[in-house]
Amino acid sequence: MEINKVGLSSIKPVNTKTNNETETDFKAIMNEQLNKLNNKQVEADNYVNDLISGNDVDLHQVMIATEEARLSLELAVQIRNKIVEAYKELNNMQL
Amino acid sequence: MSVFKSLQINASGLSLERLKMDIISTNIANVNTTRAENGEAYRKKIVVFSENLEKEINRISGVTKKVSSGVKVDGIEEDESEFRIVYDPTHPDADENGYVQLPNVNIVDEMVSLINTQRAYEANVTCLNANKAILKKALDISKG
Repeated sequence: MEINKVGLSSIKPVNTKTNNETETDFKAIMNEQLNKLNNKQVEADNYVNDLISGNDVDLHQVMIATEEARLSLELAVQIRNKIVEAYKELNNMQL
Repeated sequence: MSVFKSLQINASGLSLERLKMDIISTNIANVNTTRAENGEAYRKKIVVFSENLEKEINRISGVTKKVSSGVKVDGIEEDESEFRIVYDPTHPDADENGYVQLPNVNIVDEMVSLINTQRAYEANVTCLNANKAILKKALDISKG
C-alpha cells in the first residue's frame, strides 16, 4: 500500500466554487485508498490462511503482513478521525 | 519509497537467515552421511547471497537509480574441500584399504554459524520492531 501517494501532488487546491470535479476527486481518492487498505487486509488474511493450511509460507512474512494491515487500518482510522473532526468543527460553526 | 519498505528489507533478511538455518540443520543432520546423491560422502552446503538492488524511479525528478532493497539468495553451493578420511574396515562404504570418506562438515563450525545465524535473525527482528515503533509513533502525531 503506497500511502505516500496521497502527497501534495494528489491534493487539489480548494476551489471557491463547488464544482463536480473536486467532489468526485476526493471521493475517488478515498475509494482508492480504502481499496488499498482492503487489499492489505485480504493479503494478511491470505497469509494467515496459507500458514494454518500448512502451505509454504514463512512465519515472519505472516507477522509482517498482519502488522502492515494493522498499521494501515490505524492510519485509516486516524484519517477518518481527522475528517469527522473537521466535519464537526464546521457543523458547530455559529452563523 | 513506500511506507512499508523498511519492513520488507528486514523481511528479506529474515528469510535469508531462515534459509541459512535450514542449511545448517541439513549439514548437522548429515554430519556422518557417507552416501550422498553422487555416491560420494555428503558435501557441506553453503548459502550464497548478495545485496538486492532494485531500480527505482524518483517520482519528482523522474531519474532512475538503483536502490538497495535488502538481500537476495543467489543459490546454495557445496564446499569443495577435502573429505575426512577415517580408518574403519567394518564400514560398508569403506574402500579396499579400509578407509571411509566422511563428510567435510565440521560440527563445531556448524554450531558457530548456528549461533551467528540466530543472532542475525534476532538483529533483524529488533530492527523490524524499531521500524514498526517508528510507524506507530508517526500515527500518534495526529492524536491529542
